[in-house]
Amino acid sequence: MNETFEASGIVTFAFWVTSAITIAAAVMVVTVRDVFKAAVFLAGSFIGVSAIFFLLNAEFVGVVQILVYVGAVSILIAFSVMMITDVSRGSQPSRARYASVTVAALVVAAIAITAYNTDWTLNEDLTDPAAIAGLAGEFVEEELESGEGRITSTDGLGITPDTVVQTGVLHDSTGTIGGLLLREFVLPFETVGLVIVAALIGGLALMRPRRHEPDSRGGG
Amino acid sequence: MTLENVLLVSGIIFAIGLYGVLSRRSAIALLMSLELLFNAVVIAAVAFSRFTPPAGLADGGVVTANEVRAALTGHVFAVFVIAVAAAESALALALIFALYRAKQTVEITDVSEMSK
Repeated sequence: MNETFEASGIVTFAFWVTSAITIAAAVMVVTVRDVFKAAVFLAGSFIGVSAIFFLLNAEFVGVVQILVYVGAVSILIAFSVMMITDVSRGSQPSRARYASVTVAALVVAAIAITAYNTDWTLNEDLTDPAAIAGLAGEFVEEELESGEGRITSTDGLGITPDTVVQTGVLHDSTGTIGGLLLREFVLPFETVGLVIVAALIGGLALMRPRRHEPDSRGGG
Repeated sequence: MTLENVLLVSGIIFAIGLYGVLSRRSAIALLMSLELLFNAVVIAAVAFSRFTPPAGLADGGVVTANEVRAALTGHVFAVFVIAVAAAESALALALIFALYRAKQTVEITDVSEMSK
């Protein structure tokens, strides 16, 4: 994404259009009575969010969003709705509607006031490599020696000259994220794997038919 | 497209999800609203990552590899949140199925009335 493209306002326009579609789909998710329609709108909302990620130069997160949310979670929810929803009864109206609207409006007002009244400019002290090294101690200083200067592909950590672009944003970030996941964040990475396995086993254990209760479908 | 605007969109989606969590009766619809909450938080994380680039990158000066990695930490957080949310939704759907098998309903108000 070069400078003229960024400055032409196309990105901003695309952002607002995408945001409007995403927010409209999200509103439908929480208001529509039919739960299956809500699941379809939820998938639409997920796609909109992934488009926002692409506009924010987060290609990897956008692709993960499509794979995990649109590809897996939406399908899972849609299947659950088809198996569970009692069509004859239909969905019941919402509970505590006015109180919920009030709480949600207060939250969005608080977020908007905070977002627009906070000075988000970069704190120079905290991005100065020497300051970071001083805060984090020896570890970062060692890393700094290998990574000092203009970025080259020789440091072997997935950061290439392509990672840096002149407009002040990062692009081609996937390699760097891979390096981060398997170096700095390897412990959380492995823990997430453990969490997913635990969730899968927990789900299977919850779904297993009880021993002393014969399964009505004649299964196991 | 500034950080403030992206945070506003994130906040709006968060509020919509919060409304859904508070007002929906069906447990599946509640889970969908929870996913909206997760998505809003991930948008905020990615936005902070995008709009607070390393200092050297912003003024075209010297960029260290560490600064690039620090700037992309938000993306890593986003990936972790997505992974945990996927595990959570799988487990929550299993719970909903178990609830449906035991009580023949997934309306949370019915369940709370039955437990009295």
